[in-house]
Amino acid sequence: MRGPLLAAAGGAMGGAGGPLARTIRAKLTAALQPTHLEVRDDSPRHGGPPGAETHFGVLVVSGRFAGLPLLQRHRLVHEALRAELAGPLHALQVIARTPQQWESDPQAPPAPPCLGGSKREQRRG
Amino acid sequence: MRAAVRTGWRIGAAAALRGRSGRPLSQAAQEGGGAEGGGGSGSREAVERLVREHPVVVFMKGSPAQPLCGFSNAVVQILRLHGVEDYRAHDVLQDPDLRQGIKNYSNWPTIPQVYLNGEFVGGCDILLQMHQNGDLVEELKKLGIRSALLDAEKDQEKK
Repeated sequence: MRGPLLAAAGGAMGGAGGPLARTIRAKLTAALQPTHLEVRDDSPRHGGPPGAETHFGVLVVSGRFAGLPLLQRHRLVHEALRAELAGPLHALQVIARTPQQWESDPQAPPAPPCLGGSKREQRRG
Repeated sequence: MRAAVRTGWRIGAAAALRGRSGRPLSQAAQEGGGAEGGGGSGSREAVERLVREHPVVVFMKGSPAQPLCGFSNAVVQILRLHGVEDYRAHDVLQDPDLRQGIKNYSNWPTIPQVYLNGEFVGGCDILLQMHQNGDLVEELKKLGIRSALLDAEKDQEKK
């Protein structure tokens, strides 16, 4: 995730990403106090125009996840981004690790390639 | 609100359309969404029936033969790796009511959604992690499904 993140940060406006990227970062920081956080805008890889900000991937490392199964961890992330998911955020890949897990395996799998699903869609999903 | 109001009198219609079994997978995927018709397909009761239809039920975009989304495709590929080809797949792109209904049912905002034994286990990310850490083999075992990966490991041990 580091490669694409740096590339996205370098290429996007101001280096911090667009407004939605910043909102996602702020909300996740406030809700989960992560020790490590990566926010990746995958929108260009899904055929969106530059600055579309529709598909994101987040890597959240937080002690809040300790003892929680994956489903509950992802629900915490969704809860923090409830408004965005009800709005412009069309897809969200989530990696949620505890600090211990991240230390023992500081890598995240890449996002699956887009298969053009949006062609038939009229509203977000 | 609308779905709740429609639920009562639509259940009968939805129930009448159900009762299919043993369909080839591609057919189930194509008809599973569209055949429901109307607003009833997204109701809690209709979704409940779908998730209990089979030990493995997937709500996705496109079909297992032709996924239309990378995340949905990842779910299909992972299941395929484990030798799971017999499952129920519902194409939410064919049925807007089901598309919204399944998100309401699981309180989960995105597609794909994977249900094992009627229980929501997560989307593509979670399935991938379950696959990587061995949990998926265990969960399939609980359903009486022997993962193909176990046989692959056995073959390797023989060498």
